[in-house]
Amino acid sequence: MLRHTLLFTGYELGVMRRNLAWPIIGIMQPVLYLLLFAPLLTSITPNGELTEALIVFTPAALVMIALFGSMFAGFGMINETRNGVLERLAVSQAWRPAIILGRVVKDMLMLVLQSLLVLGVAALMGLRISLAAMGLMLLLMAVTGLFAANLSYGLALAVRDENGMSQIVQFFLLPLMLLSGLMLPMSLAPDWMQTVAKFNPLYYAVEAGRALFAGDFSDSDIPIAFGIFLVLGVLALTWSVRSLRKLAG
Amino acid sequence: MLDIPTNGENVIIEAHDLRKTFIAKRGRGKTEEVEAVRGIDLAVDEGEIFACLGPNGAGKTTTVRMLATFTIPTSGTARVAGFDVVKEAAKVREKIGYVGQAGGVDDNAPGRESLVLAGRIAGMSRKEALARAEELFAAFSLSEIADRPVKTLSGGQKRRFSLAIGLVNRPPLVFLDEPTTGLDPQNRANLWDEIRALRDQGTSVLLTTHYLDEADALCDRLVIVDHGEIVAEGTPEKLKKELAGDVVTLRLDDLDGARKVLAAQPYIKETQVEGDSLRAYLDDGEHGLPTLLRALEAENLAIRSISLDRATLDDVFLKHTGRSLRDAA
Repeated sequence: MLRHTLLFTGYELGVMRRNLAWPIIGIMQPVLYLLLFAPLLTSITPNGELTEALIVFTPAALVMIALFGSMFAGFGMINETRNGVLERLAVSQAWRPAIILGRVVKDMLMLVLQSLLVLGVAALMGLRISLAAMGLMLLLMAVTGLFAANLSYGLALAVRDENGMSQIVQFFLLPLMLLSGLMLPMSLAPDWMQTVAKFNPLYYAVEAGRALFAGDFSDSDIPIAFGIFLVLGVLALTWSVRSLRKLAG
Repeated sequence: MLDIPTNGENVIIEAHDLRKTFIAKRGRGKTEEVEAVRGIDLAVDEGEIFACLGPNGAGKTTTVRMLATFTIPTSGTARVAGFDVVKEAAKVREKIGYVGQAGGVDDNAPGRESLVLAGRIAGMSRKEALARAEELFAAFSLSEIADRPVKTLSGGQKRRFSLAIGLVNRPPLVFLDEPTTGLDPQNRANLWDEIRALRDQGTSVLLTTHYLDEADALCDRLVIVDHGEIVAEGTPEKLKKELAGDVVTLRLDDLDGARKVLAAQPYIKETQVEGDSLRAYLDDGEHGLPTLLRALEAENLAIRSISLDRATLDDVFLKHTGRSLRDAA
């Protein structure tokens, strides 16, 4: 099981290595946000310093890569429902969940690597966090990716249409983004928005990230975020493997 | 249930009353049941090339997908290489190669990568998988293009990669779903040779096709499938012989009159009206033709055109379904 998962991961990493341009373009957006948006936030921080703004905004920039990167991971799989690759793999000796999980592990690795690059930029801008905070943040990114990528593959296999999928992803992205406090902390929002945000899993990822960066390791949002994404990730994987089975009609 | 005779050797595929009904969505919450396969019995011997011939939509692909453990049958049973396709799907998958209609080769990677991955999934070490890939590249003349992204290759080259991937685990049985569709005549002929070579090495092949000449030239035995059912079964020779060796195709104004006259002739085994022409089947066309012409002349039936051909599997299809395979799609 693990062997098959890693075989698929290795294969997908090979494909990625031959097309390195795409993941690099993928992190341009969060990097630009760091460079051009974080400075705007300095006015709402207590001392008006960029380093304070970076503690608030860097976790958000990372969650943004998870959203805009991993949520689109499934697009490539729509083509594979048509070109016969999935059909062939489904009747091969491969452990079926590995077909999806192998790709998800690749997406998680990508996400961690991209996060490291974004953290590097933030460090150049003056962000200082502990190694423990960084390690936990990268782990949190991995579980966020576990959920987002599995959801994306499930969606791809269920919808099987590029246009339909891009509409659905776009439809969900904006409210998920605004209600996670990604751009501005939810503490600035009116009560009703704060209530609604509590139902958005990404809210916990952003809050947990901010707590980690602030060095507040006892914040309850941290275990909640890890728990939520692990559970949702497993559910999304189950769904996508089921959708894989439905390909056969 | 059809009683299908085999050559008495070991049977590699055995299917009984296989059925598949899909639930198709028809918008606004409405659904419709589509009976794709309606009771298919098959027996394929080890080491033979067996064809499912039929028009598009006849249920050939669904049948192959059920036998290859991709689609779960609605009812009926099938054993492939001795294992039940539903209850022992994992065991079946060790014994088969499957080349779907779409090919199933990843466009974005070089063929070598796809082959090595397929080999390793089948349980080989990286070294073994690389060696097996090399072997298959040599067999299918792919060595020079093995490291080019598949998307840059021609249709025929892609098809050879599909076949190579399907054979990576040295399966005793391969399924080929429409293996030559879309290939030019040269590539088709080459692929036929490669499929024959497989049989010569002892591999059993089950292929689907809607090309009559392909079934005729390639397979040892075949079934003709239409609307999800088998309408005829046998060797190409036996099926054609049942009908007659030759066929006379006539175009004339009074089709029914001519049909009556010809049906009364002792040497005419069968007549069929197809569109605006009449087809008469007889064993010895060269000698029968003059007699046939005299009989029509005696009734003052004016002939616009006439031709004499060898009977093909299309005539077999026409006899059993009342349609020509060319029109059936």
